[in-house]
Amino acid sequence: MLYIIAYLLFAAGPLLALIPGRRIPALLAWLLMSSACVLAGIQGVMAIAAGQSLPLITLSLPIIGPFTFVQTPLGGLLILITSSVFAVAIPFVTRDANLYTSGRRGLFLAIAMLTLAGMIGFFLAGSIVAFIFCWELAALAIWGLITFETRQSKPVAAGLLTLALSELGSLAGLVSLLLLASAAGTPQLSGIAHAVPEMSPKLLLVAGLLAFFGFGMKAGIIPLNVWLPAAHGTAPRSTSPILSGATLNLGLYAFLRIDAPIALHQPHLGLIILSSGALTALIGIIYALVEKDMKRLLAQSSVENMGIATAGIGAGLTFAAYGHPLLGGASMVAGLYHMINHSTFKTLLFLGAGGIDASTGTHNLDELGGLMKRLPALGSFFLVGAFAIAALPPFNGFVSEWLLLESLLRVVEIPDIPVRITFALSGALLALTSGLALTCFIMLPGSALMGLPRSPQAANAKKAPLSVVLPMGLLALLALLLGLAATLVIPVLSRLAATLLGTNPTASLVPDFFHIPSQVPMAVRHALDPIGASLGAAFLPLRSLVVMHLDQTPAPVVYAMSTLLTFVVLVLMLGSVWILVRVIRQRRVTRNTLWDAGLTRLRPEMTYTATTFAAPVRVVFQGFFHPLIEENEKRHGAFVLTRSYHQVITNISERLVIRPGIRMALYIASRLARMHKGHVNTYASYILVAMVVVLIIVAGAGTR
Amino acid sequence: MSFWPYYGLQRGITTTAWPDGAEDSAGITPGRPCALQTGHAEEIAAACPTQALKAVSQAGRDGVAVDFSHCIHCQRCRHGDNALPWSTDFSWGAPSAAARPALESRFTRSLQVLYVDAGACGACVNEVRLIDAPPYNLHRLGIFVTATPRDADVLLVAGPITDAMRTAISKAYAAMPEPKRVMGMGTCAIHGGVFGESFACAGGLEKIVPVDLWLPGCPPPPLAIIHGLLSLVGRVTPAALEEQP
Amino acid sequence: MSIPKTLQEWLQSIPNLQMQKRSEQWLQLLCSAEQLPALTRHLMEEEEAEFATLLVEESADALSVHYLFYLPATGNLIELKVEAPAGTELPAISDTVHAADWHEREAWDLYGLRFSGHPFLGDFVLHDDDWPEGLDPMRRSFDGKHRPDLHGSGADWAPPRLLQEEGAMVFPVGPVWGDFNESGLWLLETPGEQIRYLHTRLFYKYRGVEKIAEGRTVDQGLLLAERFAGAAAFAHAWAYCQALEQIAACQIPTRAQQLRIVFAELERIRHHAANIAEIAGSTALSVAKALAQGIVEDLLRLSARLCGHRYFFGVLTPGGLREDLDEGKIKLLRQTLPELDQRMQQLEKHLEGSSSFLDRIEEMGTLSNELARIYGVVGPIARASGRSIDLRRHLPYGQYVFLSPDVPVEQEGDGYARLRIFFAESRISVKIILDLLPFMAEGPVQSPCPIQEGHALSWVEAPSGATFHWLRCTGDGTITRLRLGTPGFRNWHAFERAIEGAAFQDFPIILATWGLSIAENDR
Repeated sequence: MLYIIAYLLFAAGPLLALIPGRRIPALLAWLLMSSACVLAGIQGVMAIAAGQSLPLITLSLPIIGPFTFVQTPLGGLLILITSSVFAVAIPFVTRDANLYTSGRRGLFLAIAMLTLAGMIGFFLAGSIVAFIFCWELAALAIWGLITFETRQSKPVAAGLLTLALSELGSLAGLVSLLLLASAAGTPQLSGIAHAVPEMSPKLLLVAGLLAFFGFGMKAGIIPLNVWLPAAHGTAPRSTSPILSGATLNLGLYAFLRIDAPIALHQPHLGLIILSSGALTALIGIIYALVEKDMKRLLAQSSVENMGIATAGIGAGLTFAAYGHPLLGGASMVAGLYHMINHSTFKTLLFLGAGGIDASTGTHNLDELGGLMKRLPALGSFFLVGAFAIAALPPFNGFVSEWLLLESLLRVVEIPDIPVRITFALSGALLALTSGLALTCFIMLPGSALMGLPRSPQAANAKKAPLSVVLPMGLLALLALLLGLAATLVIPVLSRLAATLLGTNPTASLVPDFFHIPSQVPMAVRHALDPIGASLGAAFLPLRSLVVMHLDQTPAPVVYAMSTLLTFVVLVLMLGSVWILVRVIRQRRVTRNTLWDAGLTRLRPEMTYTATTFAAPVRVVFQGFFHPLIEENEKRHGAFVLTRSYHQVITNISERLVIRPGIRMALYIASRLARMHKGHVNTYASYILVAMVVVLIIVAGAGTR
Repeated sequence: MSFWPYYGLQRGITTTAWPDGAEDSAGITPGRPCALQTGHAEEIAAACPTQALKAVSQAGRDGVAVDFSHCIHCQRCRHGDNALPWSTDFSWGAPSAAARPALESRFTRSLQVLYVDAGACGACVNEVRLIDAPPYNLHRLGIFVTATPRDADVLLVAGPITDAMRTAISKAYAAMPEPKRVMGMGTCAIHGGVFGESFACAGGLEKIVPVDLWLPGCPPPPLAIIHGLLSLVGRVTPAALEEQP
Repeated sequence: MSIPKTLQEWLQSIPNLQMQKRSEQWLQLLCSAEQLPALTRHLMEEEEAEFATLLVEESADALSVHYLFYLPATGNLIELKVEAPAGTELPAISDTVHAADWHEREAWDLYGLRFSGHPFLGDFVLHDDDWPEGLDPMRRSFDGKHRPDLHGSGADWAPPRLLQEEGAMVFPVGPVWGDFNESGLWLLETPGEQIRYLHTRLFYKYRGVEKIAEGRTVDQGLLLAERFAGAAAFAHAWAYCQALEQIAACQIPTRAQQLRIVFAELERIRHHAANIAEIAGSTALSVAKALAQGIVEDLLRLSARLCGHRYFFGVLTPGGLREDLDEGKIKLLRQTLPELDQRMQQLEKHLEGSSSFLDRIEEMGTLSNELARIYGVVGPIARASGRSIDLRRHLPYGQYVFLSPDVPVEQEGDGYARLRIFFAESRISVKIILDLLPFMAEGPVQSPCPIQEGHALSWVEAPSGATFHWLRCTGDGTITRLRLGTPGFRNWHAFERAIEGAAFQDFPIILATWGLSIAENDR
């Protein structure tokens, strides 16, 4: 019921925006759309709370089959995330929509709402027809968002690229779905999942891989992720938070939904998902480091975060397939947690980037700087987002990345050597990714907020719009809470993982509050563990992440970290230092200007830019980037007048996948073109030959 | 394979015993003229190209007084008929008129020095570079050189204070934490030396920042620099800028 | 030692060119501004002339500009003299004679003489942030005694930039930097990590020596010449004394001439040893630095024992030396020097055995032979880049006429080549001194040098390269023009080209291997 109201409101909002005028229609539209998001969010929470699948509606259509919508807990989580992202992003969307004429304003909001509607529909899809239909609906709406500002030509190209690759991905996904459906004999997704154990392993592997790489393309998984930064970098700035924070999850959900049942019977699939995720993460962050356009940088970092989440899911599926549902659950939880986290901090950061763009008119990091003094609130929230995405405690990014790395180490439980090697390598890639992410997210706020303003726009930054700052504050708080109250979230995610893995891992975990040294006799431990479990569970709602297995036979300690305690210690430490400085050493504090080595004045051009900060990374990964360097020198006699360097870095997926693909297509086309001589006789003979071939085939079929 | 530690040990200890013991190695200092009672005071003073020597007459006794703040060791009073005696000491650091008291005891074994070159010729630069060389080894005295005024307790300035370095010196002084002391090194820093005051030189560090200790000499040898630094923390007795016959 | 026939013929073929033989060695050409580029181009390209220095003298209503060249092959001096009446411009020759680049910028800043076609005039000697435009301190009308109550652009000054690269910055080093460094500002243009171009902004130590010398007596001028660059005090004082002696046509006793060589070579060894200490220090090889510093200190003490001053201040006097070296001191020299030489050679052997050290200076800060020629670098820097140029051989003065010392040459032009040159030259200097000592002439070390009106150009191969002093004085001994054409001024000009492509952390190492004195450049 709520869905229907929500959908009506989705439609009503943009309609209101068609009314001429600026303030009132926008406010009304915002009100309606926000309440729609809240309603959808409530429904999402209810779906999670229900803990089981509930069929909603089935439409039987003649040729294409049943149109089924089912409410699942996992879908509920995705709906909750999506509608929350939309809810916080809509103020900025409506604010920026006011920049258009009222007709276009309505269209803009309508496309945004269509995206949301398509996505919610997709998360509810129960049959392959509904699945593909909603997927396509969302893809088209997203394409509409990206190309909305068609005044420049770049968004068109980026939008077409998105659409083309999305269609290529959908095609692969569709093939996979059809293969599975025909093998299972039912178009319902749940039916397919049940039938998986009976299918042939080869078919499963092919279908699984097609689904993973096809749907994964939407999430920026290698090898075809070059469209993502291009598209998100050129989309209207108010839609970037939606695109990155919400729509990327489509891809994750899609392959998770299809591949989870398959991977439980096909351990290799999980390994491929894990290693692709780790590789995607590394490639994403490396390219993020050489971007100086804030939006493109954040989009590249989305690729990285999707990679991390994918790696978590892959590890979880592999563990489960090898008979370690507990460890699998932990990894899966880490992956899902990271998906939530990414939606939180990436929406926050994109809102910040949009806000900076709105107040300075540029999102080129090399032209920013010194904004912390001019936009203190936005700057602080942006900084929180950067801390979170750099996985610094006590913020949320730390929890999921730490859980993931910790669970990857648990591969020692699997005796298979190739699996161990894959896990070790993926873990190493992810660890490198974390380090580079830290560098990247020191660079981002450092070059945007700190130092001296490097352009007049940055020096004369306007006040940041409230429609950006308030949602950012909300998201910053959420990033902190998701970091501190991790133990409240993990059991929920664990229940969702249970629907995929078949067992609820955290149900068999207890807080390791009374962890007993191993010297203590087993009998005593057996007796004490349940007491510890019940005490911990009953009295300590915000207990730490220190948990261990209740069942003694495998008895692995899964996690051992407390973000809450870390936070408390941090606050105590900083507080005591502050007290020491302020109270005990009552010294006069003298303030001086910056020591600039005796220059007349430190000039903005003498401060680090994003490019100079990332230079060591560029140098280290020189071989990976394969930059095209254009060097030019203008001279007058022996004088060097100017010297110019221009570096072009082409994304590795474009270099190794897309360009060879284009070359091959052109080659084939040129071969085909030879057939076109332009003589009528030649074409007539082609038709003749084709007819003969068709007749032979038909005749052959008829005789059988 | 590196044998550098061995090569270093091979040389043995070359560090001076001063200030705990005496140091009178030949050539460790250029020396400087001493005040003298003489009847040729006027001639001697007139021969001095920098007016460092002054004919004085006190209580009927004629003599030559030496103003070290102008002496540049031109050696003209060293040779010839009316030669003055030359000392071979190096304890030259002398408090300025506006000197603040020596730094507290917690600086005596930990003193950070910032060196700023304000037009010094290569000689002062070379001598200051030698203070942490093995023959003098500044660090054994707990004195260290820093590159930032934020850590510095002493600002050591050499040269006749060129126009372009005024800003840098006042900025460096302002950036130093209290308590801080300033030492003007070399005759140039006191009144500009041979360069004097001109369109390009301020001719005196005192015109830019308050100075606590003057170190005359052209250039002051390394031990004189160390003497000056030690005077700032009260570890040695400072000298005077003038000597009367 | 006469002017080459071909050159003479070529010069005679040019109309309206006045030729005047100042001496057997010195040919003066009075030319017009239009003839200047063709003449300098011919001298550089056909005669392989070396640029010595450029100097401006102010007369009642015009500036006369002297472009001084010498021919290393024949030992001739060629002076091009151009009159620039007030308000006129001269064609810049620095696009062909690039060594004149900084000279022209200096003349523009100090005299307000504009060179048409020079792309980078201004903000050089006189920094735009401190000094107002259009105030030319070397002009007679400017009172050099006091600081004018005018100011430059102050905080509006922006660093020069020629690099066009997205996101590149200008990384400033200085003016106050490092532990014991001379003041100067280096603006590294960089996209991070790699230095694409360097702007050397010196003259933070500009003391206006050439200006303040005017009006002083020639005796006080000697004090200035000695003390503006203390690391090569003897060489500059020698050049100054030579100029005075040339004006007075004074004959120097042989013993004084020989002793001058002894002191000059001792100074060279000490200068090079100090550079070696800095090179070792820049690569954090502290034991090697300490050993080299030990040699420096012992040489300083030896100098003080020989002549009373660690840096040879007050040793020279026009007409000879202030004091003779007695037998005891000569004996001391003969005893000490071989031991110091031994230590120096030991150090060289050890350094050459340290591959980690060599890794940091090999192919570092390379100045190619081509660039060395274009920039006309001098001294050890030139000899490390394959240019065998040494005034002691090619324009010999004093007793060097009979000695013609060996000139070590290396081809690579990198930091290691310069290190080898420093060692080789020290070794040769030790040999010169030790070879000279047994043949010391007897007799006085001083002859009278009366003050006369006149002008002269003199030169000395200072430790860091060729220095040219131009002195003009009146009959009562007042200096009216003192030009100090120093090797530092020549070599700093080329330094920017050796940094290109290096990484940040190599900058101090390259700086140390060049071993340049800023005091000598800034004057």
